Amino acid sequence: MASLGFVTGIAPRDRTLVVIFLRGGADGLTLVAPVADDAYHRARPTLRVTEREGLRLDDVFALHPRLTPLAPLWASGELAIVHSVGSEDATRSHFEAQDLMEHAGTSAGGWLGRFLRLRAIGQPGALSAVAFGTELPAALRGAPSATVLRSLNTFSLGEGAHGMLRALADLYAIEHNALGQSARDTVTALQRLERLASAPRPLAAADYPRDDFGEALRQTAELVRAGVGLEAATIDLGGWDSHFAQQQLLEPAMDRLARGLAAFHRDLGPDMARTTVVVMTEFGRRVAENSALGTDHGRGSVMFALGGGVRGGRVLGGWPGLGPDELEGPGDLPVRTNYRNVLAPILSGMAASDVVSRSFPGFALDPVPLLG
Amino acid sequence: MISRRRFVELGGTLAAASALACDEAPPPLASLLTPASDPVAPPATDDVDLVSHVVGRLSFGPRPRDHAHVRALHADVERAAERYVDTQLAPLGLDDTDVEARLRRYGELEEAAGELYEYKEQVLLASLTSAAILRARYSERQLHAVMVDFWTDHFNIDSAKGDCRWLKAADDRDVIRAHALGSFPAMLRASSLSPAMLWYLDGRVNRYGAPGDRPNENYARELLELHTLGVHGGYTQQDVMEVARALSGWTVRSRREVVFGLGKVEFHPEWHDDGEKHVLGRVIPAGLGSRDLDAVMDLVSLHPSTARHLATKLCRRFIADDPPAAAVGRVASTFASSRGNIASTLRTLFTTPEFTQARRTKLKRPFHFALSALRATDARTDGGPALHEMLRRMGHAPYQHPTPEGYADDEPSWLGTLLWRWNFAAALAGNRIDGTHLDPVALRSTLGGEEGLRAHILCRRATSAEREILAAASDSLPLLLASPAFQRY
Repeated sequence: MASLGFVTGIAPRDRTLVVIFLRGGADGLTLVAPVADDAYHRARPTLRVTEREGLRLDDVFALHPRLTPLAPLWASGELAIVHSVGSEDATRSHFEAQDLMEHAGTSAGGWLGRFLRLRAIGQPGALSAVAFGTELPAALRGAPSATVLRSLNTFSLGEGAHGMLRALADLYAIEHNALGQSARDTVTALQRLERLASAPRPLAAADYPRDDFGEALRQTAELVRAGVGLEAATIDLGGWDSHFAQQQLLEPAMDRLARGLAAFHRDLGPDMARTTVVVMTEFGRRVAENSALGTDHGRGSVMFALGGGVRGGRVLGGWPGLGPDELEGPGDLPVRTNYRNVLAPILSGMAASDVVSRSFPGFALDPVPLLG
Repeated sequence: MISRRRFVELGGTLAAASALACDEAPPPLASLLTPASDPVAPPATDDVDLVSHVVGRLSFGPRPRDHAHVRALHADVERAAERYVDTQLAPLGLDDTDVEARLRRYGELEEAAGELYEYKEQVLLASLTSAAILRARYSERQLHAVMVDFWTDHFNIDSAKGDCRWLKAADDRDVIRAHALGSFPAMLRASSLSPAMLWYLDGRVNRYGAPGDRPNENYARELLELHTLGVHGGYTQQDVMEVARALSGWTVRSRREVVFGLGKVEFHPEWHDDGEKHVLGRVIPAGLGSRDLDAVMDLVSLHPSTARHLATKLCRRFIADDPPAAAVGRVASTFASSRGNIASTLRTLFTTPEFTQARRTKLKRPFHFALSALRATDARTDGGPALHEMLRRMGHAPYQHPTPEGYADDEPSWLGTLLWRWNFAAALAGNRIDGTHLDPVALRSTLGGEEGLRAHILCRRATSAEREILAAASDSLPLLLASPAFQRY
């Protein structure tokens, strides 16, 4: 049976990766709009970002005005954007596209779970990988340890639980399987969080959105600062499936995203240097808007990378343009850059290159020059 | 145009017809209902026996007297299990006045779709959730409740989206519960015209007004990918677009647009693309208008890929996460030959050797876990807010899964919930859940003492290692409910 006390030996200054998944297929053409492309304005007569509204990033793109809180991070060179990015999955199905993107192929487990397992630095702990939310995301499947929690505050068995915990550890000791492993992780996590609870609270309260997303970012920052060996955290942000009334749907979602990231950046301060945030989505939206002032499932979208080591202030990935010959299938922005090639350079800052390549089996990596 | 009244008539008729058609008279139930004052015999084998297995799979878990009662249905254990399956496949033969009385306070759930708007959305969601808990806890029609759970995920609707906040209650009643053991094609059709589904998957805004208008593909895609053929069922992006065209023009009256007839489902010919469509290699001729929907339903509801997709999902629920191919094949074949009769399809599943052998292969999902704990301990519950909150924390709040594939039905998806399960076990055993109460003394006495309690909750005799750990604890009940054995079924 795993001992109840192995909370020592964590490398506290280790790097943390935060993966934010925009569930529902976020419209890259709204988040980072190709305002210099005439075809964009023709295809989106109602939903477009005009050249006047957008925050100009370069000679093609502008940031949606609702993403303004990200502008300082762009200006300071900490935020990079990759456009026309996505996966090879062309089903345009949320489930399939998320499934492929998170598994990164047909191998068992998810890309992040695989990476953490192959990387295997030191003793994996219950707080090595934390999924904020209610379900373990597919990306984290197969991690040596992964904990799903909605809030650090509720993560306790309450008073008088010590005896119960010890007996449970014994009852699960003979389970040499995933359930047993999960039980051992849970016991360890409870121990660690007891220590966290007695740690001093941060002084600078950053202005996080008051919702599950903001709370997840705030607690991620807390775990990073506490140095409990957090290697990866995943946070979902939903509300991007804009078939109908896209503007009303996306504006609050973009608000939450941008305000959350800006607050996280401010809150972490110098610890941001050892933290990288990546924002991804399963696919983009059809270039042409539909008759319900929405957009249907498409292909290419955008990814954001923020933090330690990222050489930002650049839109990477190459812009194919929206000419009729460039569009894919029913009129979609093609995928110019595979999302793995955005994740790979970020992961390479955390592990040896063979670990990174084995995390994406069956795929020849051609990393985007995100770091330099 | 389909009124809500017609839904109910259709649903009620089909549910009754299917229940009558596929089953002979159920065995007398007096034995199941007579309260026994003597201690009952819990399972007495070292492995999970057939009765515990079958009850565990077809219900939300055995109550203290279930094992003895089912075992008493026939001298031969296999025949006893068969008779239990028979009674569960014919739910109308099971007296359910107890749970009906408990549900009477949720009369709003019986309101017509338009009337649901008179209630606060939070009230409706809370009532729906309470009703689901009470049915799972108290209904004698356990397999029906289990299948309602199954179809609720299959035809997932997030009650937080748009008018689903009001209309999911009608969908639960007129689509899911009306057809849960009835006819799949009838359920699919009811779902396609369910006001809540028209909201959830945007069917209501799938409109074709002028040449160049693009259909909203959302429902069409999920219809093919999730509800019928399955993602590898052999359809193309072109099929999705053609199905979307065929279903254009169906809509539901919403609060913004009208005052009268809220929630009413209507076909608007002026929003329908009435041209010729090509779906799955077949031609739907131009000019069929609203009957395009029937043509699409005919093409997909009994498609061989649909049979396979549903058989796979059913075998995943009742046999194992990785369902054995032989069982899937037999179940798919009955689905096809019975023209999508759900009870007949399940009967085939329950007679496969793979089903019989699959002991303790499945991890209970949190709702199942919590309900099985309430049932195992004979806990009284009002199904109220304290339980809703615990289900939400365990990531399994009913009617709140955001995306159309519904809550996952495999072990890895739920491994992160152990802490919350332990939490729940401790709270339940310690009587710390508002609105829920158990009597540990009466429970032990019913089961003939500590050893009986262990055997009942573990569904087998405790091992010597378990005995040792449990004996050292001040109270064994929370540990039994939190144990690895009780997480599986």
